[in-house]
Amino acid sequence: MTQPVVGTSNHPTCGRRIVIVAFGLFLGLFGALGALLTPPGMASAEGESIQVQVKDQRRTASGRADNQPVAGVSVTVVDASGVEIASVVTDENGVALVAVPAKADYVVKIDVDTLPDGLALSADTPAEQTVTQDSFVTSKRIVNFFTGESQSEELSDAERISQRFADGIRLGLIIAMCSVGLSLIFGTTGLTNFAHGEMVTFGAMIAYFLNDRGIHILLAAPIAIAAGGLFGYSLDRFGFARFRARGIGLISQMVITLGMSIALKNLFLWRFGGRDKPYLDYTNQVGSKIGPITITQRDLIVTILAAVVLVSVALTLQYTRLGKATRAVSDNIDLASSTGIDSAKVIRLIWIVGGALAAMGGVFRGLDEQVSWDMGTSLLFLMFAGITLGGLGSAYGALVGGFVVGLLVETSTLVGVPTELKAAPALVILILILLVRPQGILGRAQRVG
Amino acid sequence: MDIGAVLENAILQFIGLNACYYAIAAIGLNVQFGYTGLLNFGQAGFMAAGAYGVGMTVSIMSISVWWGIGLGLLYSVALGLLMGAPTLRLRADYLAIVTIASAEIVRLVVRSVKFKGQFGGTDGLRNFAQAFQQVGIDLGLQPAQDYGWWIFTFSGRNLWNLIVGWSLVAIFGVIVWRLMKSPWGRVLKAIREDEDAVRSLGKSVFSYKMQALVFGGVIGAFAGMMLALGNASVQPDNFSRDLTFFVLTGLVLGGVAKVTGSIVGPMLFWGFYSFLDGLLRELVDKPVRIGDFTLLQSTDIGVVVFMIMGILLVLLMVYRPQGLFGNRKEMAFEGR
Repeated sequence: MTQPVVGTSNHPTCGRRIVIVAFGLFLGLFGALGALLTPPGMASAEGESIQVQVKDQRRTASGRADNQPVAGVSVTVVDASGVEIASVVTDENGVALVAVPAKADYVVKIDVDTLPDGLALSADTPAEQTVTQDSFVTSKRIVNFFTGESQSEELSDAERISQRFADGIRLGLIIAMCSVGLSLIFGTTGLTNFAHGEMVTFGAMIAYFLNDRGIHILLAAPIAIAAGGLFGYSLDRFGFARFRARGIGLISQMVITLGMSIALKNLFLWRFGGRDKPYLDYTNQVGSKIGPITITQRDLIVTILAAVVLVSVALTLQYTRLGKATRAVSDNIDLASSTGIDSAKVIRLIWIVGGALAAMGGVFRGLDEQVSWDMGTSLLFLMFAGITLGGLGSAYGALVGGFVVGLLVETSTLVGVPTELKAAPALVILILILLVRPQGILGRAQRVG
Repeated sequence: MDIGAVLENAILQFIGLNACYYAIAAIGLNVQFGYTGLLNFGQAGFMAAGAYGVGMTVSIMSISVWWGIGLGLLYSVALGLLMGAPTLRLRADYLAIVTIASAEIVRLVVRSVKFKGQFGGTDGLRNFAQAFQQVGIDLGLQPAQDYGWWIFTFSGRNLWNLIVGWSLVAIFGVIVWRLMKSPWGRVLKAIREDEDAVRSLGKSVFSYKMQALVFGGVIGAFAGMMLALGNASVQPDNFSRDLTFFVLTGLVLGGVAKVTGSIVGPMLFWGFYSFLDGLLRELVDKPVRIGDFTLLQSTDIGVVVFMIMGILLVLLMVYRPQGLFGNRKEMAFEGR
């Protein structure tokens, strides 16, 4: 651990120049391609069916679509000359299959009156969709209709902005909570744990399976958090502590975490399935208005709880003996050991607490959005951006950086970043921070060797 | 149980198109990871750069597919510079984080609705490979006709893909093998072992690392092009994080810092994958239940096999980090 944590820098401006050139090249290429846009056109030979799917895209408070199937909707397919091919009703999966004679042009119409009460087609889904011959990729052409709440009232700018900030604060708190373990494990052992996202999912999963067996979420959540701690403990006790003792290199350990990430993710997918599912309790809450923002009671409590937990983590680190020992070990493990701190014990403790906090973050995220098999994986990259921003390996850095990244990601949609790409600004932050101040906000410059 | 068919499939996957483009990608990753010690966990991003370079030519830009090679190279070089510039002076973990994130962003961008006009959204791109297939036909390989003997019977179309693919593997294999014996390659290995020592000899470590990153990425882009041309389509979700990890698993299985390892490893990966998949499918013809609890049904098998491949990667790194052909000393480097 005596090696420089952040490497040397001989020509600091050179790298910056290259990245600007590369950025320019990238943007220029994309721009040129946009101008050259022409539609594809090719016909194929055989054809079978059109699969109509009706999905409800009502969004949760954080802007994620539920994608619940809508059953019992009447759908009609007519061919190019207006002759009706078939009229069918969607099944419980929201799917209706219509056999068509050949790959040709068709029009798919949805009967809006048969939609369940309170549902309307979302703004960008027309009630009639045209299927062209060319768009049959395989023998089955899928046509999607999306419903969403009829958005009658427009939000004012101030409301929109404060709403995004409220969501951003919640996401930021959850990311900060999940990142503490990731950052401290890095700080003490030098290991970048790519399986940390799966530790987040693990907590949400345990809570879900207990909840599914009829245990209330208020009881299931603490059990899941304890299980997360136990999981962290066993990962260190039976895994990484042994690897360190066997002298397996950090790079090899990092590849091991990649393998663990693949294995765990597929385990979750196998046991949980590919669909997002909500917890049974506190779903379908109606948001109430507090000032300019609309927030459900559940989300409000999650936000407050997360803030309380993070403040207690910070206070523990600052004032207790254990917290001071942790910071000492993550600062300089050799020096800490020579002053009599049992660093192996501290590392074990960090794995336990980190695992428990990750699990808690997972449960909160599951309450906030829904539980899915890859929820942690998608958070992992935001966590990396957060801890790099805050200062890799620094305890407070993880809290501050994670919070800032969550806030930025949610508010980036305000300045025109599409929702589906809102993780992208985190990468831009990551790259800028590495160029300008690689040690992060709270990392110390003397770590640069 | 038809173990013969399972083995037959495994052997075909061993030399199949999947193994082929994995091998090209692994040769590139080996330049970065094996020889130079750079943690590029975003090889899927480079492959996407190559694949989309080829894919965008005909359907989006209305130019010949052969321009796509140049376009793919341009994209991958730009991506390499973008990843390398902020990170290559810092310790190794930063590159790992930035590469893994960049590859994911590339995938999000190409599958987004916003850029559907440029990259085809989640449907991806197709109808661009005709000119490539035509060369095979001109050389006398009829697409629908079967060639070969015994179990090694391929349609003319597949045979053409395989011939081009494995030729690329051979070409890049020889190039990398020669390069690593050259003074340039020795500097890369020296950087992996001790960066400071190389710097004290007056070499620009940053520049060498950047060359290795971009060079490996360009080879990865060729893997993506081969994938696009071979399948005659580009799908954004082909280029997920898992692609990088499985290429890495293949490389580690074969042995890092060895050209033979980077070629045979991915072949073994796909052979083993196919064998495991086929075997489980033969064994689980009806759902396996313990009481009311359904443990395994046939639709789960794909997922379970991937899970086992993940566990395999862990076990490999713990018990045989040098893989089959590697040298343990060459896998002992520490990231700095």
